[in-house]
Amino acid sequence: MTVQIELNNIDKHYGTFHALKGVSLAIEKGSFVALVGPSGCGKSTLLRSIAGLESITSGSLRIAGETMTGVPPRKRDVAMVFQSYALYPHMTVEENLTYSLRLHGVHKPEAKARAAEVAATTGLSALLHRYPRELSGGQRQRVAMGRAIIRNPKAFLFDEPLSNLDAALRVHMRKEIRALHDRLGATSVYVTHDQVEAMTMADHVVVMRDGCIEQQGAPLELYDRPVSRFVAGFIGSPAMNFIDAVVAEDGRTAVLQNTDGGTVPLPSPLEPGRSIVVGLRPEHLRVVEHQGTFQITVGAIESTGSTTFISSADDLITLVQADRTSIAAGDRVSLAIPEIHVHVFDPETGLRL
Amino acid sequence: MTRPYTPWLLLALALTLAALYLFPLYWMYVTSLKSASEIYFNPPTFWPLAPDTSIYPQVWFGRTMSTFLWNSVVIASGVTAITVILGTGCAYVLARYRSVWVDVGLFLILMLQVLPASVMITPLFVGFNQVGLLNYPRTAVVLAAAAKAMPFFVVLVRATFMSVPRELEEAALVDGNSRVGAFFSIVLPLARNGILVCAILTFMSAFGEFIYSKSIIQEKNLQPASVGLSGFLGPNSSDWNAIMAYSAIYVTPILAVFVLLQRRIVSGLTSGALK
Repeated sequence: MTVQIELNNIDKHYGTFHALKGVSLAIEKGSFVALVGPSGCGKSTLLRSIAGLESITSGSLRIAGETMTGVPPRKRDVAMVFQSYALYPHMTVEENLTYSLRLHGVHKPEAKARAAEVAATTGLSALLHRYPRELSGGQRQRVAMGRAIIRNPKAFLFDEPLSNLDAALRVHMRKEIRALHDRLGATSVYVTHDQVEAMTMADHVVVMRDGCIEQQGAPLELYDRPVSRFVAGFIGSPAMNFIDAVVAEDGRTAVLQNTDGGTVPLPSPLEPGRSIVVGLRPEHLRVVEHQGTFQITVGAIESTGSTTFISSADDLITLVQADRTSIAAGDRVSLAIPEIHVHVFDPETGLRL
Repeated sequence: MTRPYTPWLLLALALTLAALYLFPLYWMYVTSLKSASEIYFNPPTFWPLAPDTSIYPQVWFGRTMSTFLWNSVVIASGVTAITVILGTGCAYVLARYRSVWVDVGLFLILMLQVLPASVMITPLFVGFNQVGLLNYPRTAVVLAAAAKAMPFFVVLVRATFMSVPRELEEAALVDGNSRVGAFFSIVLPLARNGILVCAILTFMSAFGEFIYSKSIIQEKNLQPASVGLSGFLGPNSSDWNAIMAYSAIYVTPILAVFVLLQRRIVSGLTSGALK
């Protein structure tokens, strides 16, 4: 695999604000990379730097082997889909689609033919002569996608393209974008604050925080082995439970604080007496009759029919059950978790132990 | 309880104010059609006893109004052209870049608006005299009046540009356009209505410009209609129906344009060009 986009030690300052702090990232040709993180983490800035809409303060950027630092956006041959879609309101769908082709001197009949082709793949054929204001949200989104794919660019850049759609359409478009990516064999960089989108769509997920890359890897790798409490809390839904604990005498179990001396097994031995934070995913906790290692008082029970969410009365712990339950609020239940699913973090640095 | 009545009250108030404001206009047309003696009737007649339009051709030819109106058109066109070309660029920059200098620029532009023409005319006259611009009096008036019209235009057009989302320009840049190309093919068409409306308003106010023209243009056949009108007024002027006829000829084209474009002007001023 060759590297299509290569970021090397990129820094970006807005006045005194340090938006990107030495970001390095190699994006392979044909891969689908998601940049995730909370708002203000620099993921959009990074994407806009790749597009050339932001200048980088230092570092180097290469697209398809060519150095692109300081090159204007029009010479980078990348396509971008904006959160607001940014369709040109005074142009019809067809004119929106062919805008870039016309700028690159493609003749009108050929541009029209390409537009018709793209419209067919995105389901816009009947709408070519409408204006953006006459389209629904989903249709606008398709036009924005079509405008990107018509050019066959070196990379697709997506800036939260689905956040203006309703939930059902979002799930549908998620699959469609991924299918389009596979069919075109394109290289895509996808910015989102929604970890579910990142996990389901991407081959490679990059979690960002405060202008730095916190962790990157395959989606399940991030889920299974988060390097820090931040990544652990960000990936997975509902979010991981974090409980302060102290390593017990034997070094193989942790005594949980605020749970009347309950314990969980540790995946690897630690020095006794050490303060730690244990992370327990809601879907890994099981309610058991016997051999539970700690107990909670049930607070709220929410059922969606297929799954049941149970949270403790003190709101410290949430767990998810696939089947229905006879447990009621106020009950005292025993919980167990296999030791391989226990994540241990340092309370000071937040790093995985 | 009073709520259903309030709109009626406000409407009545609005109509009264409008009538007060428009009465002189009505009086101008009516007086121009009266005979010389009827003008002095007491109580006055609100509709001429024998409407007489013969004063119109008399004033048009006797006062060489075609020359005056042509000069007005030349001056107003010059002012509008300079204001639109320079003001649009200026407004775009002020809308897109944020810095201390932009704020300083905006403040200075608003300062220009605050200074009245009657105060500015003396230094302008002296300055124009020194650089020899008074030999081209209409050009001098165009420059002075354009400077006066600029702040209003820039502030309004800047607001129009700010209503065009920046992402549209960015999309155009990524699609392969240059900064300048994106401005002409995306931003300008979307801001067109706002610019057009401001241009029309600029033209109309320049069409009635008086202070600079009166002070700078001495030669009679270069004077605009506003200065020509003041030529009627002397110590013994009493030629009221001629004055009213002249005013009617002068004002009617502006009124006609405004009535025709009224809807566009209002919508262009109040709403952005988008959505």
